[in-house]
Amino acid sequence: MEIFIQQMVNGLTIGSIYALVALGYTMVYGVLKLINFAHGDLVALSAYTGLVIAMQLAGAGIGGVLLVVAVFLINAVVISIVGVLLERTAYRPLRQAPRMSAVVSALGASLVFENGMMLIWGPMPKIFSIDLVPNINWNIHGVYISFIQLLILIISFALMVALYIFVNKTKVGIAVRASSIDQDAARLMGINVNKIIMLIFIIGSALGSAGGLFIGMYYKSIYFNMGWIYGLNAFVAAIIGGIGNIPGAMLGGILLGVFNALIAGYISSSWATGFTYLLLIVILVFRPRGILGERVAEKV
Amino acid sequence: MRYKNLGSVFAVLLVSVFFIATTTMAKGVIKIGVQAPITGKFASEGQGIVNSVKLIADQYNAKGGLLGKKLKVVTCDDEGTAVKAAICARNLVNNGVIAVIGSYTSTCAESAEATYYKAKVLQTSDGTSDTLVKHGYWTFFRNSSPNSAEGKFTSEFFLKAKKYKKIAILSDFSTFSVDLAKAVSENLKKNGGNIVYSGKITSGAQNFTPVLTKIKSYKPDAIYFSGYYTDGGLLRAQQEQLGIKADFIGGDSSDNPEFVKLAGSAAAGAYIINVPMPQYLPYNAAKKFLSDYKARYHEDPPSIWTLYNADGLRAILYTIGKLKTTNTKKIADYMHNQLKNFPGITGPVAWHKNGERATSAYMAYEIQPDGKYKIVYPVK
Repeated sequence: MEIFIQQMVNGLTIGSIYALVALGYTMVYGVLKLINFAHGDLVALSAYTGLVIAMQLAGAGIGGVLLVVAVFLINAVVISIVGVLLERTAYRPLRQAPRMSAVVSALGASLVFENGMMLIWGPMPKIFSIDLVPNINWNIHGVYISFIQLLILIISFALMVALYIFVNKTKVGIAVRASSIDQDAARLMGINVNKIIMLIFIIGSALGSAGGLFIGMYYKSIYFNMGWIYGLNAFVAAIIGGIGNIPGAMLGGILLGVFNALIAGYISSSWATGFTYLLLIVILVFRPRGILGERVAEKV
Repeated sequence: MRYKNLGSVFAVLLVSVFFIATTTMAKGVIKIGVQAPITGKFASEGQGIVNSVKLIADQYNAKGGLLGKKLKVVTCDDEGTAVKAAICARNLVNNGVIAVIGSYTSTCAESAEATYYKAKVLQTSDGTSDTLVKHGYWTFFRNSSPNSAEGKFTSEFFLKAKKYKKIAILSDFSTFSVDLAKAVSENLKKNGGNIVYSGKITSGAQNFTPVLTKIKSYKPDAIYFSGYYTDGGLLRAQQEQLGIKADFIGGDSSDNPEFVKLAGSAAAGAYIINVPMPQYLPYNAAKKFLSDYKARYHEDPPSIWTLYNADGLRAILYTIGKLKTTNTKKIADYMHNQLKNFPGITGPVAWHKNGERATSAYMAYEIQPDGKYKIVYPVK
């Protein structure tokens, strides 16, 4: 039994990181109908910038809770700026172009980020060499959970709840949803769609930056092309939940993490990735728009 | 035009005079060739080989040479390319060497092998590629430990030294890692080892807690990982985080200072199996050679590979002295059949009939709390 619970803990931890990253994909898709392939690389970048910021702040004598909060906030700002610049340079000029152009541009942006990170920080994995939070590990009746895992679960959950409330209960949130349903109609209602898109990139990047920092803090090793593997998983999570649907991305991320852990734990770790895609196919066969995706007639 | 021709005539004359001079002088010397990448990306390794050979030759010469003759070292730079290696082989053979040390890369050693075989010139190399010993050339001696030796050593360490009852084996999906894991499991099974779990992880996935939790349910006393340190260090850290009380043993690809950094406090107590760094070699021959090398060149040999090559030369010279002949066929026969446990720098030296080294230099280290290595097996 404790093995099962341990697997659930394992799955929930990685699942909440996937969910945070998946939100970035799903929000951009929701409004722009564009898959932002560079999002995973933003997450990887955030792990690097987070490390740099943490080292600088720690070097300046800041420590404890203040250091953690400061690192998360400053990193979120930095990555949001990068996200907005990405939208301005790689996506906005192609807004009216055929969709394929934007996809190619996204892939190109992804390569630029990856190679840029490789040039700056080198091709070898980098150790996330600073302990932002104390290294505590609890043993609850044979189930092990560390402080950082708990932190990942709590912060991710809090961020997702905050996002849900923001999108569903605030005026700006209504504008976001309106833009995602019909950009032209939203514009006619006096919504500045460009600003909303910028906001989407800010929120998505900030959430991704938290995910990237968690990856660095939890796994201690970061490498320049890790955005690919996390991005892919998060993208799958977004599709499983129903791309464009915010609660769907959260559900998809958690589901993917837990599913992966259970497959690795009870069937075969070698096949875990294979089964993940099998799950994706099965879900798409029965629910083509994802678990929470709404049935929408395709505009012709 | 005329002057140019004149120049080449002079060059030819000069070369032939030089050639005649060297061949006539060769009466009183035994020539040893070195084929190594002295320039190019493997330059440090190549120069290490040249330095070692010169050092050993000079040590012999200081004691009056071998069989009353002086040893003469002839070097050729193969630059780590197969084409240059073939040219080198031809040059060295023409130069009248009886044995060639090198080359550093398997590719270069292999492209020169046939030339040496046809000229009956002995060759010894540290190349690890298994194809090197598959041609059936009696002239070729491979003095590094073959890839398969690691599996044999690992199983010996597990069953004889540590007496593990339940062993879990992990690899990633790379050919190298899968083959090593296979070699280890085969050797374990042959010797009655009990493998309770074997599986694969995706390199770079970072999250290995699911597979480790599964391994935990088998309650193993050892977890072996044949992949790279980037994953190995994380596996070790996550193993500790999950409270799995098993020994962690990493294969040679886990041997990297980064492993210790990645695993953090969990690194202490983990085992690594690899051929040792030169300074960790416990043998007397090694200690003497390293201090001599340092005294002369003011630096350590670049790697263990240098020392493998040095061992090849030492074994050949020892055999020449023992048999009192420079007949390469006789030397080779002796080295194949009679040379047993020659005290090499990299441990006992002996060869199989196909030129494969019969002894291995593998060692098991335990990582200490300060991140340093301690040799735990073989016990000296």
